[in-house]
Amino acid sequence: MATANSISEQPTAPVLADPGLLVLLAPMPSEELERVLANLTSFFPAEGLMVATADALSADSWPGLRVIPTSATNASWTLTAADFLSAYQLAGEHEARAILMLGPRSSSLQSTALRDLANAVLASSADLAISCYDLPPNAGLINSAILYPLTRSLFASRVRFPLAIDLGLSLRMAERLAAVAQKSMGLNQSDALLWPVNEAAVAAFVTSEVEVGPRATPQPAENDINAILASVTGSLFADIDVKAAFWQRVRYLPPPRYPFPHAPSADAATDISPMLDAFRLAYTNLQEIWSLVLPPNTLLGLKRLSVTEGAEFRMPDSLWARIVFDFLIAYRLRTINRGHLLGALIPLYLAWVASHINITASGTNPERHIEAVAAAFEADKPYLVSRWRWPDRFNP
Amino acid sequence: MQNFLATMLQDLPSQNPQPVYADNTSIWHHMSQALHQSLDRVLSLLIAILPGILAFFVALGIFTLIGMVISALLRRGLSWARFDDYLARTRGTTDWTPTSSPSALIARGSFWACVVLGLIIGVSAFDASYATAATLPISLLPYLTHAVGAIFLLIAGNLIARFLARSVLIGAVNAQLQYARFLSMGVKWLVLVLTAAMVLDHLEVGGVVVELAFGILFGGIVLTLALAIGLGSRDLVSRSLESHVERSNEHGIPPHSAAPANVSEAIRHF
Repeated sequence: MATANSISEQPTAPVLADPGLLVLLAPMPSEELERVLANLTSFFPAEGLMVATADALSADSWPGLRVIPTSATNASWTLTAADFLSAYQLAGEHEARAILMLGPRSSSLQSTALRDLANAVLASSADLAISCYDLPPNAGLINSAILYPLTRSLFASRVRFPLAIDLGLSLRMAERLAAVAQKSMGLNQSDALLWPVNEAAVAAFVTSEVEVGPRATPQPAENDINAILASVTGSLFADIDVKAAFWQRVRYLPPPRYPFPHAPSADAATDISPMLDAFRLAYTNLQEIWSLVLPPNTLLGLKRLSVTEGAEFRMPDSLWARIVFDFLIAYRLRTINRGHLLGALIPLYLAWVASHINITASGTNPERHIEAVAAAFEADKPYLVSRWRWPDRFNP
Repeated sequence: MQNFLATMLQDLPSQNPQPVYADNTSIWHHMSQALHQSLDRVLSLLIAILPGILAFFVALGIFTLIGMVISALLRRGLSWARFDDYLARTRGTTDWTPTSSPSALIARGSFWACVVLGLIIGVSAFDASYATAATLPISLLPYLTHAVGAIFLLIAGNLIARFLARSVLIGAVNAQLQYARFLSMGVKWLVLVLTAAMVLDHLEVGGVVVELAFGILFGGIVLTLALAIGLGSRDLVSRSLESHVERSNEHGIPPHSAAPANVSEAIRHF
């Protein structure tokens, strides 16, 4: 069973003399590359490192370091199927023992974070070491609203960032991910997102979560919430659909991480009115589409929300969980076109964001609220399972 | 003058008044003859096309039965060969609805292919039988063959109209356009008007009137939409242009397009 323990809280494993570690780096400016290499070589001997990068790197500056030139990856803001496939192939060619994949702007990671990620797969029994970032309160909101609660409730994993872009992989984990990536590549979807936590859970591999501290998170080139939400959520929904046989069984979560990491409350001055306007506009226009997906109870809840004033705007966690589950079922059943479906989810997501900001502005720890949301997803999982199995018979 | 009057008076008694009808039965005789001939013509036509109509239904029925048999065989065969599992293993895709597994899709596709084949053969048989009876024209019959195509046009037009209307509605709502529903309705009616014009043209109903009406309606809707978007989106366009100029000056990168992403600088969705 996968576990999600912080390596940082455990005694640091001794650094291996010849780690045989393949480090796959996303394209980055030369000064950032130098910083990452400096961080890596501060803990690992250069002779034991293989650095695969598409950027030009002079061997003279880093004596002993094995530089493997690769083609530029597609990782503009996250890791894709092509990256995972490339990582496994390079690891096989150069007989690496483990892989460290670092996404764009990884120079903002501390050297200890790189060490812990690598050690988690080199020195301990973990197959997947995944980063847990310390982000500002209003960052990574798609992750907090959808990715984390869904992953936690369905795959029984407390990994806080299922789509983390800095990973440590054992060879067998890399092989499994490469097999999934190969299928995506076969469908000409080299930019497809993979879900390592879900794969590890299905394969019963050990997952280890590593606190890596703050990180500069790369943003998609096209900073369009419509496109991001549709691609990320659609990819997760599709992965959940594939793994339905796994998550429908009862799973038990590992113990929670207490206390909550300290996170400053969101700035009370954050303007949520544009998001509320977007939600209200959608409520007046998209009811016909929502009514195809959502049951009457949920629509009633949305109606109440639509007339709530900005300061009192709170979306109940159970309502949000039910909305996401109903959209997931509609995605599976193709109740409406999937592009339309994910487009219709955006105003609801914005309503959740507005509610989250209001809650955190009132003094609640953002992490506590996100944990409460995830707990609501867990509590409502039987509803999802029932509707998944009998979509026509069980429709409240 | 006297001679003229004398001549006229002499001629009048000599003119025998012509009877309007030869006898009382002749009008009924002609009517019944005309009716009999008309009835003969219609019956002859019906007799001529009846085999075609029967052939149409027989072909449709037989091919539907064949389709059902082939579909059932395919379903069982593919299920026995575990075709769905094989596809999931090799292609890694389960992008199917629960009621439409790959094998179910193939079986259903084969069934409908047979039905369509039967329809084509039936229509062709009907068409052939009608051609032999074409010397007796009945104005309604040509539409029967065209009606099939018109129905397909109508269904396709409705589906496309609904799809486009939803796409526009969701896109406009997410772009926070206040007139999203109006825009969506406009697009929907554009496609529906186009579909209606195509259907009527296919049925050869209305002629120039339909073309004229379609041109006026289509042009009117396009003009209305253009005015609405032009007047309603002034703020959006100016905001977009300002944002473009500012971002280009600051970073030299193109701007993002969606309004919700601009809601706050402090919010980062990913």
